[in-house]
Amino acid sequence: MQTEDKVLDKLAGVRSADIEAALDPAEADGVFRDSRECAGLALFAGGGKLLLSPPTPRPKKG
Amino acid sequence: MEQSGTSTLLQGAVQDLASSVVSALRSGDHTHVLPAGTEEAGDVTLAAVRVLGADALLPGTLLRTPPDPAGLAVFRKAVEAYPPRADAAPTVRWSHWAMARALHRADPSGTFERPDEPGTGWLDGASWQFLTHQLAVLAPLALPGEDDGVTRAAGRRTVDVARGFVRAVRRRDWRQAAGAGRWLTLLPGVPETLGLRAGLEFVELMGGQDPQVALQLEAARLLARTGALV
Repeated sequence: MQTEDKVLDKLAGVRSADIEAALDPAEADGVFRDSRECAGLALFAGGGKLLLSPPTPRPKKG
Repeated sequence: MEQSGTSTLLQGAVQDLASSVVSALRSGDHTHVLPAGTEEAGDVTLAAVRVLGADALLPGTLLRTPPDPAGLAVFRKAVEAYPPRADAAPTVRWSHWAMARALHRADPSGTFERPDEPGTGWLDGASWQFLTHQLAVLAPLALPGEDDGVTRAAGRRTVDVARGFVRAVRRRDWRQAAGAGRWLTLLPGVPETLGLRAGLEFVELMGGQDPQVALQLEAARLLARTGALV
């Protein structure tokens, strides 16, 4: 029953920390599209002009 | 970052539950979304219900069908088992409040008392990026005809949410895009140039295999169909 006890210990650990992390997630790291991809997306979207707007500025390093 | 075993278990349970909600929204049969009784629902399942929040009752809410008493008991147990701590983040507090509201609506004759609405001060003056992220996390609040503080805050910043939707698509953050898109189906004054409908189709194409993305998209589809405005 030792394995079962370990599993139960793990389950007992599903408490505030795990739940709150899931309910208050940090923003996922994003991958920005380049202009050609956006143009393709606009074609797919059939005229979503906003998706063709210039990329959001990224912070400069240094 | 390495995830704990419990975190992985929990995420898997949340994904399974989200899949059940999606199936129920598509089929109209919501009787088997939640376990059939509190005896059957283990800790991980209860925690998953708490994480999915009010959306665990979404099929009954949107399709206006009477709740399954056994599933409702599981939902209530999750609400009572995981109240927010006093210093919990606003999204944690609002998520719990949304569950309490859903429970109260589904079972108005029950003994469960609705807690007071949390504040919205953390959204005052929030950047459009942060606002969109927070709204996407709180997408279960995006329901027709509601008048809570978060919904009012969203309604005052439709264009910012639209900008956030575009940003999320371009960052390939499909969960955020789907959550923001669900809000936009309800908000007044969405720019036509956004191409929301096509944008949501694109999100489905790219990220729809994630049940949590699919859930928001299915909710958005139903909300758009009903044409409900905030």
